[in-house]
Amino acid sequence: MKKYVIITTVLVCILSLETAFAQTKKKSLTAKKAAVTTRKVTPVGSKVYSKSKGSQLRSQISAGLGMMKSGQFSQAANAFLILSRRSDAVAERPQIKYLLGLSLMELNLNQVAAFQFVDVIKSADQKWTRQAIEKLLIVTDRLGDETLLNYAIQRIDVARVPQQNRDMLYFRLGEIKAKAGQHSEAASLYDRVGQSSRYYFSALYGKGLAQAESNQTDLALQSFRTLLEARNNSKVTDTNRVAAQMAIARILYQKQDWERAIDAYSKIPRDHFMWHNAMFEKSWAMLRGARFRSSLSNFQSLHSSFYDDAYIPETLLLRAIVYLYICKYDEMEKVVGLFEAQYNPIAANINQFLSSRSSADAYFQEIQKINILRNEPETRKKLILPYNVLKYISEEGNVRRSYAYIKKLADERKLIEDNPVIRSSALGSYSIRILNNRIKTTKDTIGEMVRAQLISMKSEIRDLKEQASFIRYEMINGKKEFLKKKLTGKNLSEVQVDEDQDRSFYIQNGYEYYPFQGEYWLDEVGNYHYLGKQSCE
Amino acid sequence: MFQKVLNFSLISFVVSIISMAAIADVEVPQDELAQETVYPVFDNPVSVKNRNIRDIGTVDVGFFGGLALTEPIYNTSKVGIAMNYHFSETHSLGVMFAKNSTGLSVDAQGLKNDFGLDYTRAPYPEYSMMADYNYKLYYGKLSLTKVAVMNTSIYLSSALGIVKYVHKSYPAIALGVGERFYFTNHLSLKLDLRFYAHQAPIPFLTGALRDGSKGPSDPIPSYDSFQERLTYTTNLELGLNYLF
Repeated sequence: MKKYVIITTVLVCILSLETAFAQTKKKSLTAKKAAVTTRKVTPVGSKVYSKSKGSQLRSQISAGLGMMKSGQFSQAANAFLILSRRSDAVAERPQIKYLLGLSLMELNLNQVAAFQFVDVIKSADQKWTRQAIEKLLIVTDRLGDETLLNYAIQRIDVARVPQQNRDMLYFRLGEIKAKAGQHSEAASLYDRVGQSSRYYFSALYGKGLAQAESNQTDLALQSFRTLLEARNNSKVTDTNRVAAQMAIARILYQKQDWERAIDAYSKIPRDHFMWHNAMFEKSWAMLRGARFRSSLSNFQSLHSSFYDDAYIPETLLLRAIVYLYICKYDEMEKVVGLFEAQYNPIAANINQFLSSRSSADAYFQEIQKINILRNEPETRKKLILPYNVLKYISEEGNVRRSYAYIKKLADERKLIEDNPVIRSSALGSYSIRILNNRIKTTKDTIGEMVRAQLISMKSEIRDLKEQASFIRYEMINGKKEFLKKKLTGKNLSEVQVDEDQDRSFYIQNGYEYYPFQGEYWLDEVGNYHYLGKQSCE
Repeated sequence: MFQKVLNFSLISFVVSIISMAAIADVEVPQDELAQETVYPVFDNPVSVKNRNIRDIGTVDVGFFGGLALTEPIYNTSKVGIAMNYHFSETHSLGVMFAKNSTGLSVDAQGLKNDFGLDYTRAPYPEYSMMADYNYKLYYGKLSLTKVAVMNTSIYLSSALGIVKYVHKSYPAIALGVGERFYFTNHLSLKLDLRFYAHQAPIPFLTGALRDGSKGPSDPIPSYDSFQERLTYTTNLELGLNYLF
């Protein structure tokens, strides 16, 4: 009996082992099959699909791909979005997300697509990550979204990027290096951008800038001249051409070659927005080259009523210094007084604004007003900060880029809102949510930029005020010396040209000169000439 | 970085190169003379800023003398006063009153002397009173001497009112063009050329104008016996105006 019981137990054990072996084999086969389908190893502990669920998912992915092939991208995107939310599709999610991103790219929904590619990259899926990075690079480049672009670039292997995207990648990498202060690396990356690329001119400019930053002025000059020559056939006001010319002038200034810098600045066309800056910088070069009369001529244009909106505190002090050189103390006092009258209230206003507002949104709302009110001078009263301060900030490169990005997001949102099929689908509400969040984040970023710029302006005005007080001291000192000499009977000043005129500025228009009498005409801006003489002994 | 280059300390700069101060040369170098005919770019471009003549919301008052260039019979001269309110830099509305001189024109006086035709028997204009609207076409300046600059404006005028004849008033319209030359920011010389159109009596009435000095005499006609027709007169007016 005991023997029988033992034999029965052994048989049961053998049977149990056999069953267990059979089950293990079955599981292994299922997993292998699934791996073949998805070309992916199922992570340990993840859910294992039943045969029917897996094949259903596969057929749905295939259906989505079919829709993409037949150009039904919105339907495909919607299908992939639904699939990506399925809890039983964990293993396939990177693939689904990637395909969703591709469909969205085809619909020009670049921002929403970018988010799908980021999700794929985050999943660390070996198969789809590389492709997702490449696509992310393309969509973020289209959007101008620097954050995501950097995210993509930091993860990319340049060697594996398709040839057609390499130029863009080198250019963007160059930008990142330049921002990080690695100018030599930046210059060599810019150098790798091909001549046929649409990034070529920007890369050439960036290269010159990086070389200038690393004090390789001759190389920088060469880069900018190459850019200038490359744009020689474009129109005079072509921004690339003008920027190259301006950069050449700046490099010559950096090399302290005042006369050539003045010549280079003079080539900036008057009908280009950089002309006003060129005029100001040329005045510096003239001052350094001891061409005081010429720099005063420029100031008459720079400080004309046409530039009342310009935030240019430094120019007033520079003008005062020129008057100091030629011993025009009365004029000097007027200009220093003007600086104090204009910029003391501005400084107070900025301080007050900075101390009373902490949220980024408050700063964004203020800068936003200027975009709405730019063409309505009467409504400038609604601004809390001075118009010229806001205008200056709104023209800063980073603010403009962020605004351009917001515009692209808004365009994308409009694309969804104008398409009833997408708008009413799950994809529509999902995309709108992403875009709204992104817009809000970017607005906050702009707000932070405004705050940072205001802090910088506050500090700049404080420094300039200090310098203004030194200039005032020099002026008083000069006046004292002048009076001393007068009391001792020395003959000091020569007779001025037209002493009876309020201001010794003349306008040269055509071949004739006539005196400036306080009225500024558009066709005269840039044609003023100071014909007064210096009053030093 | 460029900004850094430009933003070096102003004061250290003053101290370092003040000794370089040279005598300024009043000759403008050739390379500083205008070589472009284009204008700088602005968000909201306007032709002029900080105008010398600011006439928005102002009243200008003046007097003038006029000459009817195409008037054959009556005295061609007149004097008047005018007042305009400027709603904007472009539009103004005002009133003007002009008193015609009495008597005959040189030609009509010749007819009287040579042929005994006395046109004083015909109804003659006494004065005109009109509402005057001006539309400024152009504001600019001119310099003839290079020593001074004079502001000027050219405008279109359109006036509506009455021309009062000795016996009757007629509605009248006058269209014209004018120019002001500003001696100062307030005082200007005003020149107007106006083309008047209104009903008026025809002075040429058969058997009514001979005064008997050169032959038979006609009975003095009543003013109502003269026929009327649409009459056009070109007037040149010259005056002085002051902008308050």
